[in-house]
Amino acid sequence: MDQIAPAPSQSRKRDDPAKIRLVGAGKTFQVRGTELEALKPVDLGVGGEEFVALVGPSGCGKSTILNLVAGLLAPSAGQVLYDGEPVTGPNRRVGYLTQKDTLLPWRSTADNIRISLELKCRATPRAEATDRVAQMMELVGLRGFEHHYPAELSGGMRKRAALARTLIYEPETLLMDEPFGALDAQLKLLMLDQLQRLTRHRRMTVLFVTHDLGEAITLADRIVVVSARPGRIRAVHEVRLPRPRDVFTIRFSEDFARQHERLWDELKDDIIKGTDV
Amino acid sequence: MSTPSQQAQSGARDSVVGWQVALGVALLIGWEIAGRAGAARWVSEPSKIAVKLWIWLGGPLYVHLAATVTELVTGFAIGASLGALAGMMLGRSPVAAAVLRPVIVGLYSVPLVALAPLFIMFFGLGYLPKIVLVGIVTFFLLFFNTFSGAQRIDEDLVHSMEIMGAGRWEIFRKLVAPGCAVWIAGGIKTALPYALVATVTGELLATRAGLGLLLSQAAEQFDMTSIYAVLLLLMVIGLLLSEAANRIEQRVLRWRQAAE
Repeated sequence: MDQIAPAPSQSRKRDDPAKIRLVGAGKTFQVRGTELEALKPVDLGVGGEEFVALVGPSGCGKSTILNLVAGLLAPSAGQVLYDGEPVTGPNRRVGYLTQKDTLLPWRSTADNIRISLELKCRATPRAEATDRVAQMMELVGLRGFEHHYPAELSGGMRKRAALARTLIYEPETLLMDEPFGALDAQLKLLMLDQLQRLTRHRRMTVLFVTHDLGEAITLADRIVVVSARPGRIRAVHEVRLPRPRDVFTIRFSEDFARQHERLWDELKDDIIKGTDV
Repeated sequence: MSTPSQQAQSGARDSVVGWQVALGVALLIGWEIAGRAGAARWVSEPSKIAVKLWIWLGGPLYVHLAATVTELVTGFAIGASLGALAGMMLGRSPVAAAVLRPVIVGLYSVPLVALAPLFIMFFGLGYLPKIVLVGIVTFFLLFFNTFSGAQRIDEDLVHSMEIMGAGRWEIFRKLVAPGCAVWIAGGIKTALPYALVATVTGELLATRAGLGLLLSQAAEQFDMTSIYAVLLLLMVIGLLLSEAANRIEQRVLRWRQAAE
Protein backbone atom coordinates (compact mmCIF):
# COMPACT_ATOMS: atom_id res chain seq x y z
CA MET A 1 0.00 0.00 0.00
CA ASP A 2 3.02 2.20 0.40
CA GLN A 3 3.16 2.95 -3.31
CA ILE A 4 -0.12 4.84 -3.11
CA ALA A 5 0.45 8.53 -2.57
CA PRO A 6 -1.80 10.25 -0.05
CA ALA A 7 -4.73 12.08 -1.56
CA PRO A 8 -4.52 15.83 -1.69
CA SER A 9 -6.83 17.12 1.00
CA GLN A 10 -9.78 18.89 -0.49
CA SER A 11 -10.67 22.41 0.42
CA ARG A 12 -14.09 22.79 1.95
CA LYS A 13 -16.05 25.79 0.88
CA ARG A 14 -19.38 25.11 2.49
CA ASP A 15 -20.49 25.86 6.04
CA ASP A 16 -21.89 22.39 6.53
CA PRO A 17 -18.94 20.20 7.32
CA ALA A 18 -20.95 17.06 6.56
CA LYS A 19 -20.03 15.07 3.48
CA ILE A 20 -23.32 13.22 3.60
CA ARG A 21 -26.45 14.61 5.15
CA LEU A 22 -29.92 13.11 5.36
CA VAL A 23 -32.53 15.71 6.23
CA GLY A 24 -35.80 14.09 7.25
CA ALA A 25 -35.13 11.54 4.54
CA GLY A 26 -37.60 8.68 4.46
CA LYS A 27 -38.58 6.01 2.01
CA THR A 28 -41.89 4.36 1.34
CA PHE A 29 -42.26 1.61 -1.23
CA GLN A 30 -45.41 0.67 -3.09
CA VAL A 31 -45.80 -3.06 -2.86
CA ARG A 32 -48.82 -4.36 -4.76
CA GLY A 33 -50.89 -1.33 -4.00
CA THR A 34 -50.07 -1.14 -0.31
CA GLU A 35 -47.52 1.23 1.12
CA LEU A 36 -44.54 -0.22 2.88
CA GLU A 37 -42.58 2.22 4.98
CA ALA A 38 -38.98 1.07 4.83
CA LEU A 39 -37.42 4.06 6.48
CA LYS A 40 -39.07 6.65 8.70
CA PRO A 41 -37.75 10.16 8.07
CA VAL A 42 -34.26 10.26 9.55
CA ASP A 43 -31.65 12.95 10.13
CA LEU A 44 -28.06 11.88 9.84
CA GLY A 45 -24.82 13.64 9.06
CA VAL A 46 -21.54 11.99 8.12
CA GLY A 47 -18.52 14.25 8.28
CA GLY A 48 -15.70 14.20 5.77
CA GLU A 49 -13.22 11.42 6.53
CA GLU A 50 -15.55 10.05 9.16
CA PHE A 51 -16.20 6.32 9.52
CA VAL A 52 -19.82 5.68 10.45
CA ALA A 53 -21.29 2.23 10.99
CA LEU A 54 -25.01 1.51 10.74
CA VAL A 55 -26.09 -1.43 12.84
CA GLY A 56 -29.51 -2.95 13.34
CA PRO A 57 -31.59 -6.04 12.61
CA SER A 58 -32.10 -7.29 9.07
CA GLY A 59 -34.66 -5.48 7.01
CA CYS A 60 -34.47 -2.33 9.10
CA GLY A 61 -33.71 0.06 6.28
CA LYS A 62 -29.93 0.23 6.60
CA SER A 63 -29.50 -0.70 2.97
CA THR A 64 -32.18 1.83 2.07
CA ILE A 65 -30.04 4.56 3.61
CA LEU A 66 -27.09 3.48 1.48
CA ASN A 67 -29.24 3.36 -1.63
CA LEU A 68 -30.45 6.88 -0.93
CA VAL A 69 -26.90 8.18 -0.56
CA ALA A 70 -25.83 6.29 -3.70
CA GLY A 71 -28.68 7.94 -5.57
CA LEU A 72 -30.22 4.63 -6.60
CA LEU A 73 -33.38 5.49 -4.70
CA ALA A 74 -35.04 8.87 -4.42
CA PRO A 75 -36.31 9.72 -0.94
CA SER A 76 -40.11 9.85 -0.66
CA ALA A 77 -39.70 12.48 2.05
CA GLY A 78 -36.98 14.95 2.93
CA GLN A 79 -33.65 15.34 1.25
CA VAL A 80 -30.33 13.62 0.81
CA LEU A 81 -27.37 15.94 0.41
CA TYR A 82 -23.88 15.09 -0.70
CA ASP A 83 -21.30 17.85 -0.26
CA GLY A 84 -24.26 20.12 0.38
CA GLU A 85 -25.96 19.32 -2.93
CA PRO A 86 -29.09 17.18 -3.31
CA VAL A 87 -28.41 13.73 -4.75
CA THR A 88 -30.52 13.42 -7.89
CA GLY A 89 -29.12 10.40 -9.76
CA PRO A 90 -26.45 7.74 -9.43
CA ASN A 91 -23.86 9.34 -7.17
CA ARG A 92 -20.55 9.03 -8.99
CA ARG A 93 -18.52 10.41 -6.11
CA VAL A 94 -19.06 7.30 -4.03
CA GLY A 95 -17.93 3.72 -4.30
CA TYR A 96 -20.76 1.35 -3.43
CA LEU A 97 -20.19 -2.21 -2.32
CA THR A 98 -23.66 -3.73 -2.34
CA GLN A 99 -24.69 -6.81 -0.45
CA LYS A 100 -25.08 -8.73 -3.65
CA ASP A 101 -21.83 -8.76 -5.58
CA THR A 102 -22.29 -7.19 -8.98
CA LEU A 103 -19.35 -8.77 -10.77
CA LEU A 104 -19.76 -9.28 -14.50
CA PRO A 105 -19.98 -13.05 -15.06
CA TRP A 106 -18.15 -12.96 -18.40
CA ARG A 107 -15.12 -11.15 -17.09
CA SER A 108 -12.28 -12.86 -15.27
CA THR A 109 -11.63 -11.75 -11.70
CA ALA A 110 -8.76 -9.50 -12.74
CA ASP A 111 -10.80 -7.96 -15.56
CA ASN A 112 -13.69 -7.33 -13.17
CA ILE A 113 -11.42 -5.51 -10.76
CA ARG A 114 -9.93 -3.53 -13.62
CA ILE A 115 -13.20 -2.31 -15.11
CA SER A 116 -13.41 1.06 -13.40
CA LEU A 117 -9.94 1.93 -14.70
CA GLU A 118 -11.11 1.26 -18.26
CA LEU A 119 -13.82 3.90 -18.04
CA LYS A 120 -13.29 7.19 -19.80
CA CYS A 121 -13.69 9.20 -16.59
CA ARG A 122 -10.48 7.72 -15.19
CA ALA A 123 -8.77 6.17 -18.18
CA THR A 124 -5.58 4.56 -16.90
CA PRO A 125 -2.64 3.34 -18.99
CA ARG A 126 -2.76 -0.43 -19.37
CA ALA A 127 0.49 -1.14 -17.60
CA GLU A 128 -0.45 0.98 -14.60
CA ALA A 129 -3.90 -0.58 -14.43
CA THR A 130 -2.34 -4.05 -14.50
CA ASP A 131 -0.04 -3.12 -11.62
CA ARG A 132 -2.85 -1.74 -9.55
CA VAL A 133 -5.03 -4.79 -10.21
CA ALA A 134 -2.21 -7.05 -9.08
CA GLN A 135 -1.76 -4.97 -5.92
CA MET A 136 -5.47 -5.10 -5.16
CA MET A 137 -5.70 -8.83 -5.74
CA GLU A 138 -2.82 -9.30 -3.33
CA LEU A 139 -4.54 -7.02 -0.81
CA VAL A 140 -7.77 -9.01 -0.79
CA GLY A 141 -5.99 -12.35 -0.93
CA LEU A 142 -7.04 -13.37 -4.41
CA ARG A 143 -3.65 -13.84 -5.98
CA GLY A 144 -3.66 -16.83 -8.27
CA PHE A 145 -7.32 -16.33 -9.21
CA GLU A 146 -6.76 -13.64 -11.85
CA HIS A 147 -8.13 -15.74 -14.68
CA HIS A 148 -11.00 -17.36 -12.83
CA TYR A 149 -14.52 -16.34 -13.70
CA PRO A 150 -16.82 -15.22 -10.85
CA ALA A 151 -18.78 -18.48 -11.13
CA GLU A 152 -15.60 -20.34 -10.26
CA LEU A 153 -15.08 -18.41 -7.02
CA SER A 154 -16.65 -19.03 -3.63
CA GLY A 155 -19.09 -16.50 -2.18
CA GLY A 156 -16.42 -15.03 0.08
CA MET A 157 -13.99 -14.70 -2.79
CA ARG A 158 -16.55 -12.95 -4.95
CA LYS A 159 -17.17 -10.54 -2.11
CA ARG A 160 -13.46 -9.77 -1.88
CA ALA A 161 -13.24 -9.33 -5.64
CA ALA A 162 -16.11 -6.84 -5.45
CA LEU A 163 -14.33 -5.07 -2.60
CA ALA A 164 -11.13 -4.86 -4.65
CA ARG A 165 -13.13 -3.50 -7.60
CA THR A 166 -14.52 -0.73 -5.40
CA LEU A 167 -11.29 0.13 -3.62
CA ILE A 168 -9.12 0.19 -6.74
CA TYR A 169 -10.44 3.53 -7.94
CA GLU A 170 -10.22 5.06 -4.49
CA PRO A 171 -13.55 6.85 -4.34
CA GLU A 172 -13.66 9.68 -1.81
CA THR A 173 -16.61 8.03 -0.08
CA LEU A 174 -17.24 4.34 0.47
CA LEU A 175 -20.69 2.90 1.01
CA MET A 176 -20.47 -0.68 2.17
CA ASP A 177 -23.33 -3.07 2.80
CA GLU A 178 -22.16 -5.94 4.99
CA PRO A 179 -19.01 -6.41 2.99
CA PHE A 180 -17.47 -9.05 5.21
CA GLY A 181 -20.50 -11.14 6.14
CA ALA A 182 -19.43 -14.15 4.10
CA LEU A 183 -15.81 -14.25 5.28
CA ASP A 184 -14.31 -16.54 7.90
CA ALA A 185 -13.19 -14.87 11.12
CA GLN A 186 -9.48 -14.90 10.32
CA LEU A 187 -9.81 -13.37 6.90
CA LYS A 188 -12.34 -10.88 8.17
CA LEU A 189 -9.80 -9.44 10.60
CA LEU A 190 -7.22 -9.12 7.84
CA MET A 191 -9.74 -7.32 5.67
CA LEU A 192 -10.78 -4.99 8.50
CA ASP A 193 -7.13 -4.12 9.03
CA GLN A 194 -6.60 -3.36 5.36
CA LEU A 195 -9.81 -1.37 5.16
CA GLN A 196 -8.85 0.76 8.14
CA ARG A 197 -5.41 1.38 6.69
CA LEU A 198 -6.65 2.28 3.25
CA THR A 199 -9.49 4.53 4.36
CA ARG A 200 -7.19 6.44 6.78
CA HIS A 201 -4.47 6.70 4.21
CA ARG A 202 -6.79 7.91 1.43
CA ARG A 203 -8.85 10.06 3.81
CA MET A 204 -12.04 8.34 2.78
CA THR A 205 -15.46 8.93 4.23
CA VAL A 206 -17.16 5.63 5.02
CA LEU A 207 -20.74 4.64 5.66
CA PHE A 208 -20.72 1.01 6.61
CA VAL A 209 -23.66 -1.32 7.23
CA THR A 210 -23.08 -4.36 9.40
CA HIS A 211 -24.73 -6.92 11.65
CA ASP A 212 -21.55 -7.42 13.57
CA LEU A 213 -21.22 -5.13 16.58
CA GLY A 214 -17.56 -6.07 17.01
CA GLU A 215 -16.81 -5.07 13.46
CA ALA A 216 -18.58 -1.76 13.98
CA ILE A 217 -16.72 -0.94 17.19
CA THR A 218 -13.39 -1.94 15.68
CA LEU A 219 -13.72 0.35 12.69
CA ALA A 220 -16.15 3.17 13.32
CA ASP A 221 -15.90 6.65 14.76
CA ARG A 222 -19.63 6.61 15.33
CA ILE A 223 -22.16 3.85 15.42
CA VAL A 224 -25.73 4.57 14.40
CA VAL A 225 -28.24 2.12 15.78
CA VAL A 226 -31.24 1.62 13.50
CA SER A 227 -34.40 -0.01 14.81
CA ALA A 228 -36.48 -2.73 13.17
CA ARG A 229 -38.82 -1.79 10.33
CA PRO A 230 -39.87 0.83 9.73
CA GLY A 231 -36.32 1.91 10.27
CA ARG A 232 -35.52 4.91 12.38
CA ILE A 233 -32.43 5.99 14.23
CA ARG A 234 -32.53 4.84 17.83
CA ALA A 235 -29.21 6.01 19.12
CA VAL A 236 -25.83 7.25 18.02
CA HIS A 237 -22.71 6.10 19.86
CA GLU A 238 -19.33 7.71 19.71
CA VAL A 239 -16.62 5.08 19.72
CA ARG A 240 -13.89 6.54 21.88
CA LEU A 241 -11.02 4.29 20.99
CA PRO A 242 -7.75 5.80 19.82
CA ARG A 243 -6.56 5.37 16.24
CA PRO A 244 -4.97 3.60 14.59
CA ARG A 245 -6.63 0.59 16.13
CA ASP A 246 -5.13 -2.84 16.19
CA VAL A 247 -8.01 -4.83 14.80
CA PHE A 248 -6.45 -8.11 15.92
CA THR A 249 -6.22 -7.32 19.62
CA ILE A 250 -8.67 -4.48 20.23
CA ARG A 251 -11.53 -6.91 20.84
CA PHE A 252 -9.75 -8.08 24.01
CA SER A 253 -9.48 -4.60 25.56
CA GLU A 254 -11.72 -3.42 28.37
CA ASP A 255 -12.87 -0.34 26.48
CA PHE A 256 -14.00 -2.54 23.66
CA ALA A 257 -15.93 -4.78 26.03
CA ARG A 258 -17.66 -1.79 27.59
CA GLN A 259 -18.68 -0.37 24.21
CA HIS A 260 -19.89 -3.76 23.14
CA GLU A 261 -22.06 -4.17 26.23
CA ARG A 262 -23.57 -0.74 25.85
CA LEU A 263 -24.45 -1.36 22.22
CA TRP A 264 -25.78 -4.81 22.89
CA ASP A 265 -28.17 -3.44 25.51
CA GLU A 266 -29.33 -0.93 22.97
CA LEU A 267 -29.86 -3.47 20.26
CA LYS A 268 -30.84 -6.77 21.78
CA ASP A 269 -34.60 -6.28 21.74
CA ASP A 270 -34.54 -5.32 18.10
CA ILE A 271 -32.11 -8.02 17.12
CA ILE A 272 -34.19 -10.68 18.81
CA LYS A 273 -37.25 -9.28 17.07
CA GLY A 274 -35.36 -9.13 13.79
CA THR A 275 -34.23 -12.75 13.88
CA ASP A 276 -37.80 -13.86 14.48
CA VAL A 277 -38.86 -12.47 11.15
CA MET B 1 -2.20 -42.22 -20.09
CA SER B 2 -5.87 -42.87 -20.39
CA THR B 3 -7.79 -44.44 -17.55
CA PRO B 4 -9.80 -47.62 -18.08
CA SER B 5 -13.04 -45.61 -18.06
CA GLN B 6 -11.68 -43.24 -20.71
CA GLN B 7 -10.65 -46.26 -22.75
CA ALA B 8 -14.10 -47.70 -22.34
CA GLN B 9 -15.61 -44.38 -23.40
CA SER B 10 -13.44 -44.01 -26.46
CA GLY B 11 -14.14 -47.65 -27.24
CA ALA B 12 -17.87 -46.93 -27.07
CA ARG B 13 -17.39 -43.89 -29.29
CA ASP B 14 -15.44 -45.95 -31.83
CA SER B 15 -18.19 -48.52 -32.01
CA VAL B 16 -20.84 -45.78 -32.41
CA VAL B 17 -18.88 -44.31 -35.32
CA GLY B 18 -18.43 -47.78 -36.73
CA TRP B 19 -22.17 -48.42 -36.70
CA GLN B 20 -22.86 -45.01 -38.21
CA VAL B 21 -20.51 -45.69 -41.12
CA ALA B 22 -22.07 -49.11 -41.61
CA LEU B 23 -25.56 -47.58 -41.60
CA GLY B 24 -24.52 -44.91 -44.11
CA VAL B 25 -22.99 -47.48 -46.47
CA ALA B 26 -26.04 -49.70 -46.16
CA LEU B 27 -28.34 -46.79 -47.02
CA LEU B 28 -26.27 -45.86 -50.07
CA ILE B 29 -26.21 -49.46 -51.27
CA GLY B 30 -29.95 -49.80 -50.70
CA TRP B 31 -30.52 -46.55 -52.57
CA GLU B 32 -28.32 -47.69 -55.47
CA ILE B 33 -30.11 -51.04 -55.68
CA ALA B 34 -33.50 -49.37 -55.56
CA GLY B 35 -32.47 -47.00 -58.34
CA ARG B 36 -31.13 -49.77 -60.59
CA ALA B 37 -34.18 -51.90 -59.89
CA GLY B 38 -36.35 -49.29 -61.61
CA ALA B 39 -37.07 -46.51 -59.12
CA ALA B 40 -34.43 -44.23 -60.66
CA ARG B 41 -37.24 -41.98 -62.02
CA TRP B 42 -37.96 -41.04 -58.44
CA VAL B 43 -34.79 -41.53 -56.46
CA SER B 44 -32.01 -41.49 -59.06
CA GLU B 45 -28.89 -43.42 -58.05
CA PRO B 46 -26.04 -42.40 -55.73
CA SER B 47 -23.45 -43.28 -58.38
CA LYS B 48 -25.11 -40.99 -60.95
CA ILE B 49 -25.40 -38.23 -58.37
CA ALA B 50 -21.71 -38.58 -57.57
CA VAL B 51 -20.81 -38.32 -61.25
CA LYS B 52 -23.09 -35.28 -61.62
CA LEU B 53 -21.44 -33.55 -58.68
CA TRP B 54 -18.02 -34.40 -60.06
CA ILE B 55 -18.89 -32.76 -63.39
CA TRP B 56 -20.35 -29.69 -61.66
CA LEU B 57 -17.31 -29.34 -59.45
CA GLY B 58 -15.23 -29.21 -62.62
CA GLY B 59 -16.66 -25.77 -63.40
CA PRO B 60 -20.37 -25.10 -63.97
CA LEU B 61 -21.23 -25.21 -60.27
CA TYR B 62 -19.21 -22.27 -59.04
CA VAL B 63 -21.25 -19.37 -60.37
CA HIS B 64 -24.31 -20.84 -58.65
CA LEU B 65 -22.53 -21.71 -55.44
CA ALA B 66 -21.04 -18.21 -55.31
CA ALA B 67 -24.48 -16.64 -55.82
CA THR B 68 -26.13 -18.65 -53.07
CA VAL B 69 -23.31 -18.28 -50.58
CA THR B 70 -22.91 -14.54 -51.25
CA GLU B 71 -26.63 -13.89 -50.82
CA LEU B 72 -26.79 -15.98 -47.71
CA VAL B 73 -23.69 -14.60 -46.01
CA THR B 74 -24.28 -10.95 -46.91
CA GLY B 75 -27.96 -11.02 -46.00
CA PHE B 76 -27.25 -12.87 -42.79
CA ALA B 77 -24.46 -10.57 -41.70
CA ILE B 78 -26.51 -7.43 -42.30
CA GLY B 79 -29.73 -8.84 -40.82
CA ALA B 80 -28.00 -10.30 -37.77
CA SER B 81 -26.06 -7.11 -36.96
CA LEU B 82 -29.07 -4.86 -37.34
CA GLY B 83 -31.33 -7.29 -35.48
CA ALA B 84 -28.94 -7.63 -32.55
CA LEU B 85 -28.38 -3.89 -32.42
CA ALA B 86 -32.08 -3.06 -32.56
CA GLY B 87 -32.81 -5.75 -29.98
CA MET B 88 -30.27 -4.32 -27.55
CA MET B 89 -31.45 -0.75 -28.04
CA LEU B 90 -35.17 -1.44 -27.73
CA GLY B 91 -34.57 -3.94 -24.95
CA ARG B 92 -32.98 -1.14 -22.92
CA SER B 93 -35.59 1.51 -23.71
CA PRO B 94 -39.01 0.28 -22.58
CA VAL B 95 -40.87 3.32 -23.95
CA ALA B 96 -39.52 2.96 -27.49
CA ALA B 97 -40.19 -0.78 -27.29
CA ALA B 98 -43.81 -0.18 -26.25
CA VAL B 99 -44.31 2.35 -29.05
CA LEU B 100 -42.82 0.13 -31.77
CA ARG B 101 -44.30 -3.12 -30.54
CA PRO B 102 -47.39 -3.20 -32.80
CA VAL B 103 -45.27 -2.36 -35.85
CA ILE B 104 -42.80 -5.13 -35.16
CA VAL B 105 -45.37 -7.75 -34.25
CA GLY B 106 -47.44 -6.76 -37.29
CA LEU B 107 -44.52 -7.08 -39.69
CA TYR B 108 -43.43 -10.35 -38.18
CA SER B 109 -46.93 -11.78 -38.59
CA VAL B 110 -46.51 -11.69 -42.36
CA PRO B 111 -44.93 -14.97 -43.47
CA LEU B 112 -41.65 -13.39 -44.48
CA VAL B 113 -40.83 -15.61 -47.47
CA ALA B 114 -44.11 -14.41 -48.94
CA LEU B 115 -42.35 -11.07 -49.40
CA ALA B 116 -40.01 -12.64 -51.97
CA PRO B 117 -42.12 -11.76 -55.05
CA LEU B 118 -42.29 -8.17 -53.86
CA PHE B 119 -38.53 -7.92 -53.50
CA ILE B 120 -37.97 -9.48 -56.90
CA MET B 121 -40.18 -6.80 -58.41
CA PHE B 122 -38.37 -4.10 -56.45
CA PHE B 123 -34.82 -5.26 -56.90
CA GLY B 124 -34.68 -7.47 -60.01
CA LEU B 125 -33.00 -10.80 -60.57
CA GLY B 126 -29.57 -10.17 -59.09
CA TYR B 127 -28.31 -10.86 -55.59
CA LEU B 128 -30.16 -7.96 -54.00
CA PRO B 129 -33.71 -9.32 -53.56
CA LYS B 130 -32.36 -12.47 -51.89
CA ILE B 131 -30.03 -10.48 -49.69
CA VAL B 132 -32.96 -8.37 -48.54
CA LEU B 133 -35.15 -11.40 -47.92
CA VAL B 134 -32.46 -13.24 -45.97
CA GLY B 135 -31.68 -10.03 -44.12
CA ILE B 136 -35.26 -9.52 -43.00
CA VAL B 137 -35.78 -13.10 -41.89
CA THR B 138 -32.52 -12.99 -39.94
CA PHE B 139 -33.25 -9.54 -38.54
CA PHE B 140 -36.44 -10.61 -36.83
CA LEU B 141 -35.06 -13.78 -35.30
CA LEU B 142 -32.01 -11.96 -33.95
CA PHE B 143 -34.13 -9.04 -32.84
CA PHE B 144 -36.54 -11.07 -30.72
CA ASN B 145 -33.78 -13.11 -29.10
CA THR B 146 -31.55 -10.16 -28.32
CA PHE B 147 -34.49 -8.13 -27.11
CA SER B 148 -35.30 -10.69 -24.41
CA GLY B 149 -31.64 -10.78 -23.46
CA ALA B 150 -31.37 -7.01 -23.13
CA GLN B 151 -34.51 -6.89 -20.99
CA ARG B 152 -32.99 -9.42 -18.62
CA ILE B 153 -29.84 -7.40 -17.95
CA ASP B 154 -29.59 -7.08 -14.19
CA GLU B 155 -30.43 -3.51 -13.12
CA ASP B 156 -28.05 -3.89 -10.19
CA LEU B 157 -25.19 -4.35 -12.63
CA VAL B 158 -26.29 -1.25 -14.52
CA HIS B 159 -26.37 0.74 -11.29
CA SER B 160 -22.95 -0.44 -10.20
CA MET B 161 -21.53 0.63 -13.56
CA GLU B 162 -23.25 4.01 -13.30
CA ILE B 163 -21.85 4.66 -9.87
CA MET B 164 -18.38 3.74 -11.07
CA GLY B 165 -18.85 6.53 -13.58
CA ALA B 166 -19.70 4.64 -16.77
CA GLY B 167 -21.45 6.66 -19.47
CA ARG B 168 -24.34 5.35 -21.56
CA TRP B 169 -22.08 4.11 -24.32
CA GLU B 170 -19.73 2.41 -21.87
CA ILE B 171 -22.64 0.64 -20.22
CA PHE B 172 -23.80 -0.48 -23.64
CA ARG B 173 -20.40 -1.75 -24.70
CA LYS B 174 -19.20 -3.29 -21.45
CA LEU B 175 -22.47 -4.54 -20.00
CA VAL B 176 -25.40 -4.75 -22.43
CA ALA B 177 -23.52 -6.16 -25.42
CA PRO B 178 -21.59 -8.87 -23.58
CA GLY B 179 -24.68 -9.59 -21.47
CA CYS B 180 -26.65 -10.24 -24.66
CA ALA B 181 -23.94 -12.42 -26.22
CA VAL B 182 -25.62 -15.63 -25.08
CA TRP B 183 -28.88 -14.54 -26.64
CA ILE B 184 -27.26 -13.35 -29.84
CA ALA B 185 -25.40 -16.64 -30.21
CA GLY B 186 -28.69 -18.47 -29.67
CA GLY B 187 -30.38 -16.25 -32.23
CA ILE B 188 -27.65 -16.95 -34.78
CA LYS B 189 -28.07 -20.69 -34.34
CA THR B 190 -31.82 -20.47 -34.77
CA ALA B 191 -31.66 -18.07 -37.70
CA LEU B 192 -29.10 -19.84 -39.90
CA PRO B 193 -31.41 -22.61 -41.18
CA TYR B 194 -34.16 -20.05 -41.82
CA ALA B 195 -31.71 -17.89 -43.72
CA LEU B 196 -30.85 -20.83 -45.96
CA VAL B 197 -34.55 -21.47 -46.55
CA ALA B 198 -35.03 -17.80 -47.47
CA THR B 199 -32.11 -17.84 -49.90
CA VAL B 200 -33.28 -20.92 -51.75
CA THR B 201 -36.91 -19.80 -51.77
CA GLY B 202 -35.91 -16.50 -53.33
CA GLU B 203 -33.83 -18.28 -55.94
CA LEU B 204 -36.58 -20.76 -56.76
CA LEU B 205 -38.90 -17.91 -57.66
CA ALA B 206 -36.65 -16.00 -60.03
CA THR B 207 -32.96 -15.50 -60.31
CA ARG B 208 -30.05 -15.43 -62.70
CA ALA B 209 -27.85 -17.76 -60.70
CA GLY B 210 -27.85 -19.87 -57.55
CA LEU B 211 -28.46 -23.38 -56.29
CA GLY B 212 -32.17 -22.56 -56.28
CA LEU B 213 -31.95 -21.95 -60.03
CA LEU B 214 -30.19 -25.30 -60.56
CA LEU B 215 -32.97 -26.90 -58.55
CA SER B 216 -35.84 -25.32 -60.50
CA GLN B 217 -34.16 -26.05 -63.87
CA ALA B 218 -33.61 -29.66 -62.87
CA ALA B 219 -37.23 -29.95 -61.79
CA GLU B 220 -38.49 -28.56 -65.11
CA GLN B 221 -36.48 -31.24 -66.92
CA PHE B 222 -37.45 -34.04 -64.53
CA ASP B 223 -33.73 -34.41 -63.89
CA MET B 224 -33.83 -36.33 -60.61
CA THR B 225 -30.08 -36.77 -60.42
CA SER B 226 -29.51 -33.00 -60.49
CA ILE B 227 -32.25 -32.39 -57.94
CA TYR B 228 -30.64 -34.79 -55.49
CA ALA B 229 -27.21 -33.37 -56.23
CA VAL B 230 -28.44 -29.85 -55.33
CA LEU B 231 -30.19 -31.11 -52.20
CA LEU B 232 -26.98 -32.79 -51.15
CA LEU B 233 -25.07 -29.56 -51.65
CA LEU B 234 -27.65 -27.63 -49.62
CA MET B 235 -27.40 -30.17 -46.87
CA VAL B 236 -23.63 -29.77 -46.78
CA ILE B 237 -23.98 -25.97 -46.64
CA GLY B 238 -26.51 -26.27 -43.82
CA LEU B 239 -24.24 -28.58 -41.85
CA LEU B 240 -21.22 -26.33 -42.31
CA LEU B 241 -23.21 -23.32 -41.18
CA SER B 242 -24.51 -24.94 -38.03
CA GLU B 243 -21.02 -26.23 -37.24
CA ALA B 244 -19.68 -22.68 -37.67
CA ALA B 245 -22.43 -21.36 -35.39
CA ASN B 246 -21.51 -23.91 -32.74
CA ARG B 247 -17.86 -22.90 -32.89
CA ILE B 248 -18.72 -19.21 -32.56
CA GLU B 249 -21.03 -19.94 -29.67
CA GLN B 250 -18.39 -21.92 -27.82
CA ARG B 251 -15.83 -19.20 -28.28
CA VAL B 252 -18.13 -16.39 -27.15
CA LEU B 253 -19.46 -18.28 -24.16
CA ARG B 254 -16.34 -19.72 -22.59
CA TRP B 255 -17.28 -18.10 -19.27
CA ARG B 256 -20.54 -20.02 -19.27
CA GLN B 257 -18.78 -23.35 -19.37
CA ALA B 258 -16.78 -22.16 -16.39
CA ALA B 259 -20.05 -21.81 -14.51
CA GLU B 260 -21.00 -25.44 -15.09
